[in-house]
Amino acid sequence: MSDLQKLAASLAGRAQSSEEVEAFVTHEKSFNVKVYSGEVESLSSAEPRGAGVRVVSGGRVGFAYTTDLGEQSLDQLVGQARDNAAHSTPDEAVALAPAWAQAPPEVTGLVDDAHARVSSDDKVSFALELERATRSLDPRIRAVEEAVYSDSDAEIGLATSTGISGLYRRTDAWCYSMAIATEGDDTEIGFEFDLARGIAALDAEAVGRAAAERALGVLGAAKIPSGRMPVVFEPYVAGQFLGVLGSALVGEAVQKGRSLLAGRLGEQIAAPGLTMVDDGRREGAPGAAPWDAEGVPTGRTEVISKGVLTSFLYDTTSARREGRGSTGNAARGSFKSAPHPSPSNLAIDSTGESRSEVLERAGRALLVEDFHGVHSGANPVTGDFSVGATGRLLEGGTPAQAVKEVTIAAPMLEILKGIEAVASDLRWLPFGGSYGGATTLVAEMTVAGS
Amino acid sequence: MLDETLIRRTLTEALARGGDLAELFVERRSSTALRLDDSRVEDVASGREAGAGVRVISGERASYAYTNLLTEQGLSEAAQAARAGLSGAEGTVAADLRRSVGPTHPVKHAPEEVGAAAKAEALSRANEAARSQGAAVRQVSASYADVQQHVLIASSDGRIAEDDRTRVRFAVQVVAARNGEIATGFEAPGHSGGFELLSVHDPADLGERAARKALRMLEARPSPAGEFPVVLAPGSGGVLIHEACGHGLEADTLVKDASVYANRNGERFGSESVTIVDDGSDQGAWGSFGVDDEGIPAQRTVLFDKGVLVGHMSDLLSAAKIGHPPTGNGRRQSYAHLPIVRMTNTYLLPGPDAPEGIFSSVERGVYAATFAGGEVNPATGNFVFGMAEAYMIENGEVTYPIKGANLIGNGPRVLEVIEAVGSDFDRKEGVCGKDGQAAPVTNGMPTVLLGKVTVGGTEA
Repeated sequence: MSDLQKLAASLAGRAQSSEEVEAFVTHEKSFNVKVYSGEVESLSSAEPRGAGVRVVSGGRVGFAYTTDLGEQSLDQLVGQARDNAAHSTPDEAVALAPAWAQAPPEVTGLVDDAHARVSSDDKVSFALELERATRSLDPRIRAVEEAVYSDSDAEIGLATSTGISGLYRRTDAWCYSMAIATEGDDTEIGFEFDLARGIAALDAEAVGRAAAERALGVLGAAKIPSGRMPVVFEPYVAGQFLGVLGSALVGEAVQKGRSLLAGRLGEQIAAPGLTMVDDGRREGAPGAAPWDAEGVPTGRTEVISKGVLTSFLYDTTSARREGRGSTGNAARGSFKSAPHPSPSNLAIDSTGESRSEVLERAGRALLVEDFHGVHSGANPVTGDFSVGATGRLLEGGTPAQAVKEVTIAAPMLEILKGIEAVASDLRWLPFGGSYGGATTLVAEMTVAGS
Repeated sequence: MLDETLIRRTLTEALARGGDLAELFVERRSSTALRLDDSRVEDVASGREAGAGVRVISGERASYAYTNLLTEQGLSEAAQAARAGLSGAEGTVAADLRRSVGPTHPVKHAPEEVGAAAKAEALSRANEAARSQGAAVRQVSASYADVQQHVLIASSDGRIAEDDRTRVRFAVQVVAARNGEIATGFEAPGHSGGFELLSVHDPADLGERAARKALRMLEARPSPAGEFPVVLAPGSGGVLIHEACGHGLEADTLVKDASVYANRNGERFGSESVTIVDDGSDQGAWGSFGVDDEGIPAQRTVLFDKGVLVGHMSDLLSAAKIGHPPTGNGRRQSYAHLPIVRMTNTYLLPGPDAPEGIFSSVERGVYAATFAGGEVNPATGNFVFGMAEAYMIENGEVTYPIKGANLIGNGPRVLEVIEAVGSDFDRKEGVCGKDGQAAPVTNGMPTVLLGKVTVGGTEA
């Protein structure tokens, strides 16, 4: 047993009679380099660690965390969580995850074995190359506001007095570039990112070029007249839409009247060809793990089958409220927060067309390359969806005039019902959960421009 | 917090292979957070964190490393990691560490001396008050959070500063539903101070106000889309100034020529009535502090004076590049983050116009009572804001609520279209995100009339 797993077990072992204790502990090595104008602007490294503890007693739950892993501090930590539990309202649904019948199978591909051998110099070189690739594409790229490489190598341990004890390791590497393009009085920004388990799978050239192309593409953009028209979401944008919808698919939000999907189980809520899956074990997806943030083995849940809403997503407590089992959807930001239910890796299945087939089918449409103001303009409780957009007007499926400063709007259920095609070009967005987006055609939305 | 010998030893070790400046940031933080949902106090959480970061600046390059171990060994390891990659001659640490002090923000009722029971009781009062507003109130969540943060900043050029920051915030969110329509209402005041926040903002009153907002919005009709005059309510409309003007005047974007305001000092952007300041020294305000996270005292900085661009906000690095003294806007989320330029409390100051007269001048337009948030692209100044609570104005009168409305436009152009600035004023507290770091900020403004802006909605 590793030190981290022993630490978790020793915390869980502090449970007194008539209470259960869960300990979530992490030990991470992180690295970040940001370059600007051919030089390193900042470089940061660290090895943070910490523990978060939940105590459940008589239907009450309390949480506490600390970065001080000394013996005395650990006693205080459990005591603090116990004191906190005394102030919560008892709820018989509240419980820790039940013991594993058998250890959950491992998820392959969480670790890049080469990760630990990559030198800081190589990481710095990667970031410099990313900036160069962004800048060198076109003389109209005036600057690269940020070119960043980051990685993390983390061990995550969890133990409960109910009998769970687990540990897994994951490595993550990601990069992004932000290009600034200028032509005459017009200045535009283009953003692109990539993520993988290790640096070798990241492509600095491709990310840099894509960031530059996005910025260049919006140069000369203008408003278009207001009206209703078909809309195509780029994969990045489709992923952001799923990010909003994802919170409405959480069972707890439904139970508490905080989801536009409440009361719609079994209803046709989306186009008949549309199937949406949450899969906590999906290989290659950033949110993959053998068990969730409270130790429940992860799994696959079809939330929409052929347009029909078939299931919501649950953690242990929200599942017990409905007398059912967890779907393995507990998540947490870090050891500093108690688990809460959330999608793991959520994506719409492709309807089988390629990207170019989807564009062709769209004909004359607004191709949305970026949303603006999603966190304020999209509301998973009411279903209102009204956000700023930049992109291009498609004429006969071919990108033509660049468009900016427009808003697009439609109720979210109308968008779901209007999805006519989802291409096979899936990519994952790690935005507070992980969401898979692909080129997506929506039959009609309101575009507000001039 | 740490004795001066250890501080000096850490700084010396950080400069052992050269570098222009070494800085040590030490933080201890304790917090509590309680959340009520579905009429139950579901989350009661508390945490303790300690950490230290060492930064070595060499030319334009900043290297940073942090640790959770505030021991001689932990600090030494961080110093060694921060100097990695350097190979110059040993730098020197100033003989004397001179202490800088900033404004204080009094705490009358220290949160750690208030039991969790009183905090939980406040949540229940907000819940009951909200639910008593009518059967259409379907769900209420209320949260209470306090943070006590002690920081120490010392640097090799001989500066040392400490700051105690206590912040408390209370939030209520209400969901109302009737005949298939759903609407939400939200109130979330906060301040730099103690538990006395709840004497100024009574939890029951906050619950009632959030519920009334949600109930009013149940009657909302779809927002029209197109170009309209827009009246911004005092307080919440300040997010527009924050997003449209503030971010572009953070000096890190200016020095990278990534701001629409770069090299435009002295230019007129708005009328004589438009004066905008950032003020981290505003006593007790949510975004205030004594010294910033680089040890520079909080101050008031005028950004636009009577419509003319006159100032900007900076941290140590960007100030050095611009050649101005730093303005005390270097902030970091925690010891795990490098300081970056951030706003504090950003205010459009009151102007000459009577608020009632502003409404009566509008024939057909939109009254933006509460914004849900927004975002801006500093390089272009383009922004989008969602409206959580908005109404139509017809013939000078506020007539009916509208939903799904947002505001889209461009920062410099929006200052240009400010046609009236009210004599009233209000503040709204929020959390601003930048480079993955969160910072408490306040936005403030009076009633303001924008002549013509694009409103996005579902009715074409």
